[in-house]
Amino acid sequence: MLRYLARRLAFAFVLVFLVSSGGLLLTRLAPGDFTAELFGSTSAQSIARERARYGLDRPILTQYLEWLPRAARLDLGVSLMYGRPVGELVGQRAVNSGLLALAALLVATLIGVPLGVVSGSRRGGFVPALIRGLSLVSLSLPPLLTSLLFVFVAARTGWFPIGGMVSVEATQAGWDTWVRDLAWHLPLPTLALALPIAAMLERLQAQAMAETVGEPYVLSALARGVPYGRLIWRDALRVAIRPVASIYGLVVAGLLSGSFAVEIVTAWPGLGRLMYDALRARDLYLVAGCATAGAIFLAAGSLVSDLILAGIDPRLREIRD
Amino acid sequence: MARTARLTAALVVALLLVAAVLVWRFGWGPAPASAPARVGGQLVATIRSEPRTFNRYIGRDAASETVSLLTQAKLVRVNRTTGEIEPWLADSWTLAPDGVSYTVKLRPGVTFSDGVPFTSADVVFAFEALYDDTVASPVADSVTVGGKRLEVSAPDATTVVIRFPSPFGPGLRLLDNVPILPKYKLEAALRAGTFASAWGPTTPPSEMSGLGPFVLEEYQAGQRLVFERNPHYWRRDPDGVTLPYLDRLILEIVPDQNAELLRLQAGETDLTQSEVRPEDYATLKRQAEAGRLRLEDVGIGLDLDSLWFNLKPAAKARDPRRAWLQSGELRHAISEAVDRRAFAESVFLGAAVPSYGAVSPGNTRWYATDVPADPYDPGAARTLLAGLGLVDGNGDGMLEDRSGAPVRFTLLTMKGNSPLERGAAFLREELRKVGISVDVVPLETGAVVQRIEGGDYDAVYFRFQASDTDPAVNLDLWLTSGAFHVWNPSQMAPATEWERRVDDLMRQQVSSLDEGQRKWLFAEVQRVLAEHRPLLTFAAPRFLVAISSRVAHATPAPMRPPVLWNPDILAVRR
Repeated sequence: MLRYLARRLAFAFVLVFLVSSGGLLLTRLAPGDFTAELFGSTSAQSIARERARYGLDRPILTQYLEWLPRAARLDLGVSLMYGRPVGELVGQRAVNSGLLALAALLVATLIGVPLGVVSGSRRGGFVPALIRGLSLVSLSLPPLLTSLLFVFVAARTGWFPIGGMVSVEATQAGWDTWVRDLAWHLPLPTLALALPIAAMLERLQAQAMAETVGEPYVLSALARGVPYGRLIWRDALRVAIRPVASIYGLVVAGLLSGSFAVEIVTAWPGLGRLMYDALRARDLYLVAGCATAGAIFLAAGSLVSDLILAGIDPRLREIRD
Repeated sequence: MARTARLTAALVVALLLVAAVLVWRFGWGPAPASAPARVGGQLVATIRSEPRTFNRYIGRDAASETVSLLTQAKLVRVNRTTGEIEPWLADSWTLAPDGVSYTVKLRPGVTFSDGVPFTSADVVFAFEALYDDTVASPVADSVTVGGKRLEVSAPDATTVVIRFPSPFGPGLRLLDNVPILPKYKLEAALRAGTFASAWGPTTPPSEMSGLGPFVLEEYQAGQRLVFERNPHYWRRDPDGVTLPYLDRLILEIVPDQNAELLRLQAGETDLTQSEVRPEDYATLKRQAEAGRLRLEDVGIGLDLDSLWFNLKPAAKARDPRRAWLQSGELRHAISEAVDRRAFAESVFLGAAVPSYGAVSPGNTRWYATDVPADPYDPGAARTLLAGLGLVDGNGDGMLEDRSGAPVRFTLLTMKGNSPLERGAAFLREELRKVGISVDVVPLETGAVVQRIEGGDYDAVYFRFQASDTDPAVNLDLWLTSGAFHVWNPSQMAPATEWERRVDDLMRQQVSSLDEGQRKWLFAEVQRVLAEHRPLLTFAAPRFLVAISSRVAHATPAPMRPPVLWNPDILAVRR
């Protein structure tokens, strides 16, 4: 198991290295640079001075080779936009994104898996059809549209705040008020992010469950008189959960990319929004920093999903040992 | 499967019904307010990105400028509704007979937000920092005349002498770009060579001070900026009440314009960062009619969407067969091939007027009304094109040049800017009717700018954002030596006679101190440009601003930020 863990960590390291380097190099290679927005508002000399200030007049390789050793020491450079260390900016926003992602993952799992079990374990009937219909609607709505829909509903009803993470009043009050206010702001972006994932989990879980309930051992257990509910929710689920658990790593990575649109529409101060701003401004160090955080999310998610899988399937543990 | 499809359809219908019930049950927002204004209270405005710095000499982004408007003050300011300059920190000024030296008397009794007196030393320091080479301020270039800096001295604590390198028509108007920063706070940074990184986003608000109506109380990264009234602010209203009226002003950071609008409609915010998009007009009009917000038509905007061809000699040398791309007749033909009224209706959904010249009709001070306007005449356009040897040789309805190659060009535009994208699509269809094929290529702003700077394009459809109404402040566009003389920038000597004429006229226009003469000269510039059409414009959009009914004393102007440019008189209705 230790060797397996070491291998996974080495893979994570390579992934983070490739993604962060790619983030920096591709942003630098993309047409235009950080000074593009000055076009027309200042002289060519002034734009040249700005390029020199940010090192954009130097060859790409020189810039990359300067950045790389510093990045290896976890110094990701200084954001061109904000003049602040990238690590500090990314760290602040990663916490916010992590909170949103965790909430969304929890909600998606709590909704998607049970519904998948219900719809997969029954052949025909109104309830499985209703669940399938709901899943198809949720899957076909991209997070951008879902968040706009929720923002619209919030704007019309006032049930939830339209956006943001905490209100001004809460930041000036005590911790308990702050937490309550955060909890009031969380449902809207969480649901927008969680619904398509819940739908995907439901579809996967339903398919896996449908296959499992057709297995001979399930039929024989039924014939032996094992109660149907216990058989489905305890024994069959233990087997059928594997395909769902195996994609958790990808789901975590997907959460980050999905959060782009949700964070922008709901004004959630997270990593997706920071990366969007960085990409638009061609802030190469900040893009690389956000990409690094995304790669760490992906690697961590993938590792966790492997560990969960190993935990629920002894055969995999043996193979990896 | 059929059952699932039926259920899905039923769910969609159910969702729509729920939405309809919600609208019926909860209406469209808070009840209208109409009582008079009062002192105190707070307003919430939105900005779409975070400020990159609190140091205006370094930051040119919209958010940094808005923060500067709230927290800092200038010697003079341009009133964005009248276009006139107004004394601000300067109490009065006189121009010496030499035509270049202004003696400025500072307003007495003014203090910074922490109570430290404001003196002429702060003004001298401000210009020293602005022009310092280690600071390399991107604002500095906009405070020069003919590339030369202003000289600023302080004979006493309440007097400043500002000497221009040569007579300059706009005069002190140039100083609208220069907020005065406190010497006692920033001198050490300037001497240490760290001014450019001073007052960054992490600087504690208590370390900053200003002469503006508000002080930054708190910056919650990614969320909002909270401003409190400056207790030492120096302005009073005509009744002697100390400004600002508001106790607090909050800038919420809302990156998405749709969400920004929904927040305004729901009454969560009171002001937006920019004007209303044409596609939002109908929705907001209904709300305005119900009294829930105000929709102010500020008039015709100053920004123009312009099309220009690459007129650099290198472009012609690269592809001599397509020399027609640089001909004046082609531009004339395009101008006559486009139905500008239909353009305004289609692209701006009616909220625009046809535009024919390089200056927006919204710039009432400088727009020449007698500039000839090209009529919509596709037949005449075809004749002009035939004169260039561009005819339909094979009868397919599209033109070919003398070598038989199709008449075709690429039009770059900015991705994500809906009026530009719609406009480019409209132009493509109009030009197809006269036999010209246009390949519209929407690109990210950075990519468009790179292609323009590298001269690697056929034609561009781009939005010019006005920073000032006075043409002398945007010389880089008019002069052939200018880097922003977009169709053929940074020329060593004027490439054409008409450009030489424009150069001469603009040089006179800039140095003249006679307002009437300046107007005549710039009208002549517009006439020359109308004849040669280096910039083709088709419609000037109206500038509509949506404001919450709670807001009193707003004076919206057709420039960004439309309301917060004048923050100290804003108030909340009772």
